[in-house]
Amino acid sequence: MDLLSPWSLAWLGLLAPLVALYVLKRRRQRKVVGSTLLWEAALRDLRAERPWQRLRPHLSLILQALVLVAGAIALARPAGGGQVPAGARLAVVVDVSSSMAAREPDGARIDRARDLARSLARDLPPGGAMMLVAAGAEPEVLAAPTADRARLETAIDRLRVRGPGADLEGAVALAAERLRDAPAGSRIVLLTDAAIAGNVPLDATVPVEVSRVGEPLVNHAIVTLDVRAHPTEESSDRADVFVRVARYGEGTGDVRVRASIEGGRELATRRITLSEGEPTSVVMSADLPPDASARGSVVRVTLEPVDGEDPFTLDDVAVAPSPASRRLPVFLVGSAPASVTRVLRADREVELYVTSLERLAEREDDAPPLDGLFVYAGATPDDAPAGDSVVVAPTGAAVFGVALEAPVERPTLVSWEEGDPRLRFVRFADVHLGAVRPIAGGSARALLTTDAGAAIAALPRPDGETTLVAFDPDDGDWATRPGFVVFFRNVLERARQRRAAGGIPPGPLGAPLRVPVPEGQRATVRTPGGATVVATSRGGVAVVDVPAEPGVFVAEVDGRERFALRNLVDPEESDLRPRATFTRSDGSGGVATVEAVEHREAWPWIAGALLALLGIEVLWGTRKGAPA
Amino acid sequence: MSLLDPTFLRRLANLRLLAKRRFAGASAGARRSTRRGSSAEFADHRPYYPGDDVRRIDWNAYARLEELVLRLFVAEEDLSLYLLVDTSASLGEPAQKLEVAKHLAAGLGYVALTGSDRVSVWPFGDRLRTPTAPVRGRKRVGALLRALDGLEATGETDLARSVDELLARRPRPGLVAVVSDFLDPAGYARPIDRLISERHEPVLFHVVHPEELDPTPGGDLVLVDAERGHELEVTLDERSLRAYRARVRAFLEELAGYAKKRGLFYGRVSTETDFEEALLRYLRAA
Repeated sequence: MDLLSPWSLAWLGLLAPLVALYVLKRRRQRKVVGSTLLWEAALRDLRAERPWQRLRPHLSLILQALVLVAGAIALARPAGGGQVPAGARLAVVVDVSSSMAAREPDGARIDRARDLARSLARDLPPGGAMMLVAAGAEPEVLAAPTADRARLETAIDRLRVRGPGADLEGAVALAAERLRDAPAGSRIVLLTDAAIAGNVPLDATVPVEVSRVGEPLVNHAIVTLDVRAHPTEESSDRADVFVRVARYGEGTGDVRVRASIEGGRELATRRITLSEGEPTSVVMSADLPPDASARGSVVRVTLEPVDGEDPFTLDDVAVAPSPASRRLPVFLVGSAPASVTRVLRADREVELYVTSLERLAEREDDAPPLDGLFVYAGATPDDAPAGDSVVVAPTGAAVFGVALEAPVERPTLVSWEEGDPRLRFVRFADVHLGAVRPIAGGSARALLTTDAGAAIAALPRPDGETTLVAFDPDDGDWATRPGFVVFFRNVLERARQRRAAGGIPPGPLGAPLRVPVPEGQRATVRTPGGATVVATSRGGVAVVDVPAEPGVFVAEVDGRERFALRNLVDPEESDLRPRATFTRSDGSGGVATVEAVEHREAWPWIAGALLALLGIEVLWGTRKGAPA
Repeated sequence: MSLLDPTFLRRLANLRLLAKRRFAGASAGARRSTRRGSSAEFADHRPYYPGDDVRRIDWNAYARLEELVLRLFVAEEDLSLYLLVDTSASLGEPAQKLEVAKHLAAGLGYVALTGSDRVSVWPFGDRLRTPTAPVRGRKRVGALLRALDGLEATGETDLARSVDELLARRPRPGLVAVVSDFLDPAGYARPIDRLISERHEPVLFHVVHPEELDPTPGGDLVLVDAERGHELEVTLDERSLRAYRARVRAFLEELAGYAKKRGLFYGRVSTETDFEEALLRYLRAA
């Protein structure tokens, strides 16, 4: 027999004051009578009739003590150790995708999942252990198997909604791996809103129970936001704000779509009626001039139901940079190949400045830093500039610390990184290069590899990155291929995005911000909700764990502000209706989904009420005396 | 209510009228003694013994019978009424018991005084307290009532010692009206028997309160004995009440049986009833 709440035995400490009250303070009502002769005789008769009646005067105390002892033992939650296999483990996997932030009538889904997890931890059998896994885009073990309630409570408190996507399959597999050698009786409990389309295969090696939190909810969401320049004769700063909104749920509903400048004036408002399965596009035009530093503003779009409240707010706000921020200053340093110059000039959103290393060196030290993309042709400086840069046909022995080998004529192309944004829609099949200087530095990540070595590589740094093209594009036939233009357009687009984000890499909602910060310094991030999060840089990057809020995050580093925009424009997350099906990965059948019910034990309240009544009875009986 | 209160005095007057109407032949106040005396009323003859008063020899009888016989006459003497009133503390709980005892004694005394009997009050508790001097005549009713009115309930009960002290004063044999609740730890039989043996005629008036006979059920109490200070924890549940009532019933039956066995009058007077009823019952029995 074990006690699940042994600290409740502290109630037994009340026995001492109980007896003290009874012995010291119990006062019956005194009544003066002429004589007690006849009463004495009557009591003698009673005692002769039933000897145990001697205990009768103390019966009240005995009963009170018994109630107290029973109540304390009940609150200590005695449990038989043989009912559940000793050492059985429980893995609780909690879906932390964005849809878990939806508000049900009795609270957010994630809060309900927390309560259920607490309930499971509280009801652990003797000798049992529990582990906690957060199922986000990447599964994360928040608590290894433990019987320590305090650790579990702490881990449960750390559960919070992350960004879009929940790898339920991976999270369950991770939990099953940890429970693989656990004794019989071990199981996995998956707490999810099941707002995922399709089938989710779950590991079959350990019993899995799927508990659904949340009911089908009707939701209105912004599913697309784009701001594009649309210059007209009246205004060269005219832009169109494209918003696509949708209703997930039966029926129709009126919503109001409002566009404004982040922290500034309102641009336009539209009221539209949405129907299920019919996403609606809204286009709002406005003048979005750049500010004094040639930077664009941030357009903020909000969606508000006309009647009532939306249960899910993460997809009711979206932000996007204005077209003005797409104007990218490009500093072309050196004598660039004609093809490179041509492709730069062809981009209407590029402000091209041709300069040289010498002229740059002549700049005053206190001159404002040049904010844009540097394109070095031939010679490069010793240190990389802040921000992004491109080096084409380098001439030195090394570029920004990365060694270049001797030229190799016409190497054979081996492979390229199709997943890299710069190589999106770029193919090198049937491309022939001229002389290539293979890139040898360990810190360089090869994007295009030849049999002689890397021909194109990325050199990432905390404060920017360099794309190194170790050959002359005009030497060979690559510059004549469409892929060449696409490659440079991709490089420019990536530079635009990184510049708009102030150097903070883009990422999904809820993902930590990776803010470039000098080693040892701190980055202070102000969230859209107004909260402040501080992190210290390690390895040149401060990883700031921010909440899943859509909007503009402002990171302040060394007196300068950098911005990061985060949105949840994901129809998968905005559809709050449970629709996932769960099956066993071995094909042995489906896994039933049951509505999660938190069994709230009523006995503690009953036991508490009994003890309270006992206290009242003791105080009343001893202080006032029983009525005559 | 004070015994000198006009209302009570009117009740006493009414009591006297009532007594006269009901018991007209009882020659109120003029009672025949069992003793032979020197009154004019002939009672009997007896043989002459040397030393007898020769003036009482019935010479006519000697002439007829040639024997010396004495003429005996009924001795007409006033009756002595001793009001032995219990003033122990038990009569004060509740206070109505002492009031009833006083009223009863006052009624007895009043009837006796108006009948030319001698009346004295002998309050007692753990011992005999200061008695009043015997008085006679209707004019002494006030003194009697004042004496009774001043009685207070205090101390324990010791009827035996009180009777011993009373008899030690060698009072003339008479009617001893014992007005008490008879709740004496030492018992009541021995002292009453002593009174009888000393040629007194005890009359027992038992004063009771309804709460003593049938307590109200419910509650945990500490009963405090008004005389001895003993404390007794009692729960007035059905069982204990049943046992108590049985004890009370046995006590009452025992007391009534004792009186009947001795040929004594026994009257129970409740504080809820008029004392006159018990008094009239006594007079009728007398």
